[in-house]
Amino acid sequence: MLTRFEHFAVTTMTGAADTPPRANGALCFGQEWERTAFGVALALARDGHFEWEDFRSQLIASIEGWEQGHALDDPSWNYYEQWLAALEQAVIEAGLASRAEIDARLGGASA
Amino acid sequence: MDPRFNFPEDREARSAARARALEALLIEKGVITAGSVDTVLSFFETKMGPFNGAKIVARAWTDPAFKARLVADTPAAIAELDLPAGMAGAEGEHMRAVANGEGVHNLIICTLCSCYPWPVLGLPPYWYKDPTFRSRAAREPRAVLNEFGLAVPPDVEIKVWDSSAQIRWFVVPERPAGTDGLDEGQLAALVTPEAMMGVAVAKAA
Repeated sequence: MLTRFEHFAVTTMTGAADTPPRANGALCFGQEWERTAFGVALALARDGHFEWEDFRSQLIASIEGWEQGHALDDPSWNYYEQWLAALEQAVIEAGLASRAEIDARLGGASA
Repeated sequence: MDPRFNFPEDREARSAARARALEALLIEKGVITAGSVDTVLSFFETKMGPFNGAKIVARAWTDPAFKARLVADTPAAIAELDLPAGMAGAEGEHMRAVANGEGVHNLIICTLCSCYPWPVLGLPPYWYKDPTFRSRAAREPRAVLNEFGLAVPPDVEIKVWDSSAQIRWFVVPERPAGTDGLDEGQLAALVTPEAMMGVAVAKAA
């Protein structure tokens, strides 16, 4: 047994198709929102709102979708955009919020 | 301005708004709290990461008896330190330290990245799992280290250790010269993940 969910979660991704960006041995976030998206996903899976492996499958599918539509060296690639898309999908599928609620909140936030 | 140059910035702003909106909505619904993200991240920022390995190495530099125990029985020596649980190997696998010095430089490689002891060494870099790196490091470590900018003197033997699910190696680099006045915390700051993998040496700041 791994001692902590956070340990387990990152170990499962290490070296796999969804390995998160890292620098000098640490997780690497380019912007604050990436850190937010990362933390929300782990907190939800840790608390049992969805299965970590289900989220990862969604993330890997999201990454594959990007790769099919873009060149491998497309500089506009952002790992955490795929993460965020997978997270929204996982939140909706778990029934934690609907797409309409998220969109409504977004409309309010960006106004 | 060419609209192509605006695109990534707009996308960035939109992603930021989406992430903030999702977090705010989940907090409002009572699914998570305002502190949830920081709680998760503090685990990676303060509990598990290369700073643990750096503390172990710094102790070995300041306490030769600890260093001897670290090489002889690594999990027991790590357990002496006040590090978060799980550092010495939570699933029955064994951490093993190998020390540089006395004509020996150590290099660790590993086939299975899921075996990498990241709570001590930090998350492995991309090239670490590259089959080419692994096979070349096993076959011609001196040439590979040269490409990393590390010229190991010809009279120093290079030993390559391949981590497995059972044994996970890490390197205790040599304490750099000119660091006599430094305390353990200052020394730990000189220990990089690369030095603990053996693709670099520790250097004085």
